[in-house]
Amino acid sequence: MKRIAWLALVAAALVALRDPVWAGRVSSGFRSWEEDPPGTPFRWTAGRASFFVPADATAMTLPLRTEFSGPNGAPTEVEIRSDDRYLATVRLPDRHVWTRTRLPLGGRAGRRYRRIDVRVNRVVPPFMLGVMVGEVELTR
Amino acid sequence: MAARGVRHFVAAVGFLAVAAYATIYARGWADAPIRSDGYSYYLYLPSALIYHDLTLDAVARDWYDGSYPPFAAIRRWPSTGRWLDAVPIGVAAMMLPFFLVGDALTWWSNFPRDGFSFYYQQAAGLAGLTYALVGLALVRALLRRYFRDGVVLATLVTLTFGTNLFHYATFDATFSHAFSFCLVAAWVLLIERWRERPTAAASLGLGAIAGGIVLTRNVNAVFLLVLPFRCWRELWPRRRALALAAIAGAACLLPQAAMYRFITGSWWVNSYALLGNYFNFATPRIGSVLFSTQKGLFFWSPALLLAVAGAFLARRWPRSFVAATGVTFALQLFIVASWSEWQLGGSFGHRAFTDGFALVAPLFASTFDWAASRPRARALIAAFAALAVLLSIAQMLQYWLGILPYANTTWSQYRTLFLRFR
Repeated sequence: MKRIAWLALVAAALVALRDPVWAGRVSSGFRSWEEDPPGTPFRWTAGRASFFVPADATAMTLPLRTEFSGPNGAPTEVEIRSDDRYLATVRLPDRHVWTRTRLPLGGRAGRRYRRIDVRVNRVVPPFMLGVMVGEVELTR
Repeated sequence: MAARGVRHFVAAVGFLAVAAYATIYARGWADAPIRSDGYSYYLYLPSALIYHDLTLDAVARDWYDGSYPPFAAIRRWPSTGRWLDAVPIGVAAMMLPFFLVGDALTWWSNFPRDGFSFYYQQAAGLAGLTYALVGLALVRALLRRYFRDGVVLATLVTLTFGTNLFHYATFDATFSHAFSFCLVAAWVLLIERWRERPTAAASLGLGAIAGGIVLTRNVNAVFLLVLPFRCWRELWPRRRALALAAIAGAACLLPQAAMYRFITGSWWVNSYALLGNYFNFATPRIGSVLFSTQKGLFFWSPALLLAVAGAFLARRWPRSFVAATGVTFALQLFIVASWSEWQLGGSFGHRAFTDGFALVAPLFASTFDWAASRPRARALIAAFAALAVLLSIAQMLQYWLGILPYANTTWSQYRTLFLRFR
């Protein structure tokens, strides 16, 4: 009886963790939130970062900005994927300027949230800064 | 009452530790668990099991454009250009089961399998917490063989909350100290069992634990001296069992040696040399390590003075620990005090000594045992222990809240901040 109760508990936990309601608050690869001088909230990434957006969003606008030039003076490039599906590569040719890119998020999600992965082709020491990511705007 | 307290002590500390751990991260008192030294200890796992790369190159490329942040104790070895992680692989090996659960949950929940997302962080943090609890259970098993329940309970409470042990089980759980505490506790207990029955399994276990101690923190090899001190009469008659233990220990060290050989061309190296740290044996800062406001062992954990008293009060079995504890402590003190970074960076109290607390537990218990039959001494020692525990808890909370500096605390700062929580 005790064993069955334990198995039921583990099964219930696994079901809950398959699609956690709190995933929207989880991110990785970001530093803490900051504000640039006009008051725009943003977070620095490292070479990669991930966050979640609600699955019912059909598109998102992702504000990106770099303070450094890319490798060999070329523009910094940011590759964006949704649940491992390639979405776009955003080039940031100008430094100190916010670039807002609208990205369609179509397709079935199967969960409450989609995982968005950001990969940057340039990280600057000593604080290992990639790009600045602002607050994501969602279209439903 | 005391028997019940002893029986449920580890579970109660586990409950408190999980609550403290959750509060620390929910309130943002600390960055995610894999940070600072913890990052360097943990790095082997994602490198090997997610990036399938033992050279540590892939993580550097993926996260940091081919380099590592300055806080990480990882540098390129000059002659080969390969990455050398200054800390050994022992903590990562002990974290492995937790990492595998974290990795499975990451896949199951569609979180990023990058080695550093939510479940990996909690797996690493909870690994340290769990090993600290296992270490406490082992210390309890050791003490229960020789002391009354009341004495065992007083010792466990003082050891857990009167020192920085609880801090390294929760706030800085990915550092090596909770892991080493557990291994040294297992080492001391196993030596006692091996003295009674030197079976092949006990000998193999002894060797494996000895290997684990060195693999977790190289300098902790000093704890291996406990064996000859506790069993000097048995060493020669049991040379075959010891050879078996030595083979098991060597087998544990082999992966680390092979890694050093691949990276540097030598089988064993001073892995901290590239970080600019060095020993200065001519001018050890012994007074600073023991009593300074910066990281003085007895300044920040005055409860440990009860263990010093225990060295003089110990009778019968615990008496046999005095020489082993004294010599290992003296050696450890000399090594730490001679190290250029003698404060060991940011820490609550002096963390170099947390690893060996299992060894001082019988001395703590000796003081409580001695006082138990002397009403005046009992009141005095109980009052001192209670005050020391309360002070340690208060200062630990101050440290967590960022009120106490992480390092280089001056007397003037200490006085100004004494028991202030805002």
